[in-house]
Amino acid sequence: MNEMSAIDRLNDNEPAAPLQVTPRLQRLMAKVNPKSYPICIEKARLVIESYRAHAGLPQITRKALAIAHFLDNRTIFIEDDELIVGNIASKPCGLEVGPHGPTWPEEDFKSLLQSGYEISPEDEAELRALDSYWLGKGRTFYERMGRVYDDERIWPFIQSGIMLPPWAKKDEGRGHGITDFGWGLTLGYSLIVVDFEKVLRHGTKAIIAAAEAELRKLRFLEPGGLEKAEFLQAVIIAHQALIRIANRFAKLALDMAGREQDPARRAELEEIAAICAHVPEHPARTFREALQSFWFTWLMIASGTAAGGRFDQFMYPYYKADLEAGRINPAQAAELLAMLRLKVMHSNGVAGGKTQRDKWSGMAKWHNWIIGGVSRDGKDATNDLSYLILDAAKLCPTPHHTITLRVHDGTPQDLMIKALEVVKLGIGLPAFVSDQSYIDYFTGEGASLEDARDYAIGGCLDGQLPGKSRTNAMGMFVVPLVFLMTMNNGFDVRTQKQLGPKTGAFEDFATFEDFFAAFKTQLRHFMELAAEEHNILLQAQADFFADPIHSSLMEGAIEVGRDALSRAMPFENGAILNPVGMINVADSMAAVKKLVFEEKKVSKTALKQALAANWSGFEDLQKLFYDAPKYGNGEVYVDGIANALYTFWSDTARTFTSIYGGTMKVAGISITSYGPAGSLTGATPDGRFAGENLADGSMSAEQGRDLKGPTALIRSAMTIDQRGFQATLFNMKFHPTAMSSKDDLGKVAALIRTYFRHGGKHVQFNVVNRDMLLDAQKNPERHRNLIVRVAGYSAYFIQLNAKIQADIIGRTEQHFAGA
Amino acid sequence: MNRSPTSLVDAVGAGAAAPAARADRGVAGSIFNIQRYSIHDGPGIRTTVFFKKCRLRCLWCQNPESQQELPELFFNAEKCIGCGRCEKVCPEGAITLRDGRSWTDRARCTGAGACVEACPQGARSLMGRVASVDDIFQEVSEDAIFYQESGGGVTLSGGDPLAQPEFALAILKRCKEAGYHTTLDTCGFAAWHAVEMIMPYVDLVLYDFKHMDPDKHKQYTGFSNEPILRNAKGIHHELKVPMRARYAVIPGYNDGEENAAALADFIANELDRSVPVDLLPFHKYGGAKYQRLDRVDELAETSPPSEAALAALRDIFLSRGLTAKIGG
Repeated sequence: MNEMSAIDRLNDNEPAAPLQVTPRLQRLMAKVNPKSYPICIEKARLVIESYRAHAGLPQITRKALAIAHFLDNRTIFIEDDELIVGNIASKPCGLEVGPHGPTWPEEDFKSLLQSGYEISPEDEAELRALDSYWLGKGRTFYERMGRVYDDERIWPFIQSGIMLPPWAKKDEGRGHGITDFGWGLTLGYSLIVVDFEKVLRHGTKAIIAAAEAELRKLRFLEPGGLEKAEFLQAVIIAHQALIRIANRFAKLALDMAGREQDPARRAELEEIAAICAHVPEHPARTFREALQSFWFTWLMIASGTAAGGRFDQFMYPYYKADLEAGRINPAQAAELLAMLRLKVMHSNGVAGGKTQRDKWSGMAKWHNWIIGGVSRDGKDATNDLSYLILDAAKLCPTPHHTITLRVHDGTPQDLMIKALEVVKLGIGLPAFVSDQSYIDYFTGEGASLEDARDYAIGGCLDGQLPGKSRTNAMGMFVVPLVFLMTMNNGFDVRTQKQLGPKTGAFEDFATFEDFFAAFKTQLRHFMELAAEEHNILLQAQADFFADPIHSSLMEGAIEVGRDALSRAMPFENGAILNPVGMINVADSMAAVKKLVFEEKKVSKTALKQALAANWSGFEDLQKLFYDAPKYGNGEVYVDGIANALYTFWSDTARTFTSIYGGTMKVAGISITSYGPAGSLTGATPDGRFAGENLADGSMSAEQGRDLKGPTALIRSAMTIDQRGFQATLFNMKFHPTAMSSKDDLGKVAALIRTYFRHGGKHVQFNVVNRDMLLDAQKNPERHRNLIVRVAGYSAYFIQLNAKIQADIIGRTEQHFAGA
Repeated sequence: MNRSPTSLVDAVGAGAAAPAARADRGVAGSIFNIQRYSIHDGPGIRTTVFFKKCRLRCLWCQNPESQQELPELFFNAEKCIGCGRCEKVCPEGAITLRDGRSWTDRARCTGAGACVEACPQGARSLMGRVASVDDIFQEVSEDAIFYQESGGGVTLSGGDPLAQPEFALAILKRCKEAGYHTTLDTCGFAAWHAVEMIMPYVDLVLYDFKHMDPDKHKQYTGFSNEPILRNAKGIHHELKVPMRARYAVIPGYNDGEENAAALADFIANELDRSVPVDLLPFHKYGGAKYQRLDRVDELAETSPPSEAALAALRDIFLSRGLTAKIGG
């Protein structure tokens, strides 16, 4: 592929791969990247059928009955070669429509069908008919929110696009049409990591038994007894349904075994039958059983953001016992883990609404498996499975599930190198996160050190304590829109409304400090509105997305006896305020400070004219602003402003209360919203044209503005105090030649460790060749397998929209030739 | 060839140098690049300071902009739109418009750089600047935390740092005081007293061997290899500075089996089998640089060596019990 890799072969730097891609894996892999994806409607049909039959019952009861109706009646199948069973959609690689609102509007649906999704005319008609359950009834989630949006304050804010995407109509929200990812009724807008060990170690029968015991104990002498009883009953109904569907798989496997001609496959099917008859009802006894039990459980909580938790930790006892008993060898374990990757690959979904899809480009999903890090007692937790999970990604280089490696001082260098060998494959994973920074965040918010050390990632990069914490309602707040409003005395040019307070005309600011203070006033104003929006969303979702299954897998569920969304978690992140384009504001501030206020090279009027004209006729001025100091080059002048902005954001967010008690918290994660956010944002004084993408992530530089190499970029990111952020996002893109030999990988590992030792929280890499990306744009057919790292997830490059593709190509490529 | 001023003092006097060259800021010298995250020039993460000036004139030089001590004009003809702004500002009247593009009379160009500022297209740039030891030390120190983590440090390369020995010495001293690992990349063509003076501050030498035949060496580089081989032995045996031998493999010039065998024998017998060898394949990245200097690329027709040829050459070193690898 490139000169250096050929040389590596000559130097024998690459050891012979100890693990082989088996023919079985090859066949399974061929199935997960089809030319088109079938749209499935079975779940919507069955769930709405149940909702209709049980109208008027308490919401949690209706949810439990809907889960049971769906699981009892849904299509199940076992594919050839599979060892872990449990199909997601009713067709392989299908997109199962979610029963959470009306389907895509006509126009939107057409565009979806044009981009590689298909549905039969009969199914399409039935899907449309199902809309009657929602349309005109006022019962959707968005409608409940929209009904309280007053025309004076909140509604203009929602329309402004500061919270992405702007709503067009109060009853349509972010757009209709959504797909599901698994067997459950989704986690709503929550990011959680459930306690998988509850099922693996004790079986769902223990959860049912605990709920039954709690019911027997319950006396109705205090408020809330009725709700508690209803919740406990719902838990029992849903978990019994889960056991029933596992038994359906057991029976199916046995039936198939009876018809199977090949004795080897017959034996496999019989083993599958035995495993599914045992788990998840009973405690898992082997690695295979633990994997199957995990998979059934994961399916029940699967949403776009369902995490795998500290997978190497809770699965290790099963692997170790099997290994010691001679029941498994590392190659078999790696193959099973690779098969699990492929099961996750069958979990496909897209968002409703085109803007929402652009925001989450490339069938975004955040199924994050965590490896490494420290144990609860602070020792290195790396084990054989940490390595095997990476081996599985090498065997099976699919974009999902993603992997995040927790790094601390004691992380073995071998693990770092193996992780970077996977990164080098160009699939954009694993991501690397700093134990120090994440643990500091949790202890800083009051968690015990032991709990903090046990964190995993839910969603993109959001730290969660398994079974104990939650992050909610992470909106995308477009900060540069507020910057431009500050320049216009609170007036929003796009919607032609006075949205912010009048903080003074730009021309009248005597000093940069005055201007900066005005910006803070504006920002605080809009952050408060965003906090209100978040709290409205949380209250609406508590009812709408009630779910007995995921609730029962959180700490204290049975004792408290409340749906998870109706109670605070032991560690509650409440709602998150999440800035997009903060780096554009830092760069703009630095340029304005230097050129307008300090050097007075440019008048305020001229700058405003230039921005209004989108720099047209002001090209010399644009060059001046473009060349002003930019974040990402290790320059204190601008990096200091970036830090001041993020600190203000973090401090201000903590002055707003969340409905779960405590304050709002912060993250810095933009997913791919820097594309659509850029489309809404006019020209900015960082030299950017109107409509151009904003800076990605939160710690990344603006595209192509970091010119001094990775160490300078990292030094800029180190300037920012990231401890108070529950997640930050930092993308680096490396040309393959910079990650060629094992020695090179050691140097990248040193980069990561240095960053983390000095306050860094997260970093991830794209290792691709620019020419390859350009060719993929021209000839997508040839590059169907080309994977890039987008934000918290990897995606097939050709599935990304053109704007995001251009951005990936434009992100400064770190290419270093030797002298 | 360029008829520029012949010394640094001339250059500073002529105003070509940046203000950094003020005498009170310590010894100054001429460099053309500072490369951060340099990962193929010694252990760990490094910053490489590329010195201007080299006494050798290797036909295959891949950094021709490094040969002269003073700043040299780089001209990218593809970017030139023939606007003539450079012509108006040149203090030497060295620029004229020809066929819709600017043309520089290299004999008259002093590297003053007025045209660089004036060019709206970025077609003109100056290769090289005068920098003080303080400036350089400050710049390389920005990445000190990365050296610490990776066991890296600072590499002086070029050009040849030994062509500006006092300057190199001053930088190396500062780096050693700060605890940075230091690497010197040199062709070893220097007076012994300069080598002796500098080596105590060097942790690793990357030593370039061009050719083992003294006559061929003279033919290809302008000088005999006699002092180079002598210095190599002195560095290894007397000064005992760890060394890596570097062999840039240039097809048609020094890639013969005989030459490789002579180099391998020299290292094995006259130095030590502990000295590892890096075979650096010729590449074509230098070609465009000759164009931008209005110079002829003597090796325009030469292609990089094949993988098979490199492997065969490497085996010659391995057969003498040496450690050898391809790539830096």
